[in-house]
Amino acid sequence: MDEGKLREWVERLREAREVRRRFANWEFIKSQPPKLRVALEYFVETGDFRTAAALAGMGADEFVDFARFEAGIPLVY
Amino acid sequence: MEAMGELSAKLREWIEYFEEAREVRRRFANWEFIKSQPPKLRVALEYFIEVGDLYNAAKLAGMSVEEFNELRIKAGIPSVG
Amino acid sequence: MSASAVADTSFLIDWARYSRSKLLFKLFDVVFIPESVLAELRSERTLTWVAQGLEEGKLAVLPELPDASREALQLVARSRRLPVRPVDYPEAYCLVVGRELGYAVLTENGGALAVRDYDPNFASVEVLRALDILYRLWKLGHVESFRRELEVYERETKRLYTARDLAKYGDAL
Repeated sequence: MDEGKLREWVERLREAREVRRRFANWEFIKSQPPKLRVALEYFVETGDFRTAAALAGMGADEFVDFARFEAGIPLVY
Repeated sequence: MEAMGELSAKLREWIEYFEEAREVRRRFANWEFIKSQPPKLRVALEYFIEVGDLYNAAKLAGMSVEEFNELRIKAGIPSVG
Repeated sequence: MSASAVADTSFLIDWARYSRSKLLFKLFDVVFIPESVLAELRSERTLTWVAQGLEEGKLAVLPELPDASREALQLVARSRRLPVRPVDYPEAYCLVVGRELGYAVLTENGGALAVRDYDPNFASVEVLRALDILYRLWKLGHVESFRRELEVYERETKRLYTARDLAKYGDAL
């Protein structure tokens, strides 16, 4: 286990979250019905499209399209 | 040399056979039914019509081969080739 | 460079939106798609891209291989004990298959990228992001400008590469 690399990735993923937070269209996100809003917020925070898609009741690719093209959330890792 | 010529004639025969099979599938398919399906099933049915490949069509649809076979019957697509 | 690759969901749902997606087959003879990845795809766009690839013989479905599946599940469990984003089954399966069969793994998934770096069991796996693919296409002369093509890709997919990601290709940008 390369602990140095592990720490580096923790940092990278934290930076990725900052980028998603900064670019997301929060007005759009907050205007969504609860199910979708929670899914989008979860995705911004974690980048975990799979769980977010399940929360939204959508397919993985359907959710990613929704998040990136409609909610303005960039895909970073 | 002759063997190669024979191989290529056989290959041409098969290609023609598969092309004819595709035409038959296209002609008999119930396009109204196919276009009314959700994207995953529609793409799988269209793929099956073009290629006649039940295995991969079933994978595209997320179904077992048997389930997909029933779907293609419902869609009026004959199993040719 | 491997002649074959295995692609996960995160890669496919981006690449299928890229206007020059067929360039992928300049680098790989066949790209495999695991069943578990295919099962996640629902959008017409991605599925049509896959169907076309299957028709042209450029893509192939990779079935579940019991040994690889078992190890993938172990990797999924192991990654959850660490303080970094865990890896899910489809990506884990791609990593195991990549190592066992010598396929390049195509992914954008942070969890999978991290495993390749920190887990010595996967240090030998060639893991490529679209960024890496585009760079290689440029080096081989299939795209004119790496920087411009990357901009096109980012615009069409909304995939963002960070400064850290781009650092390794500094002189090309």
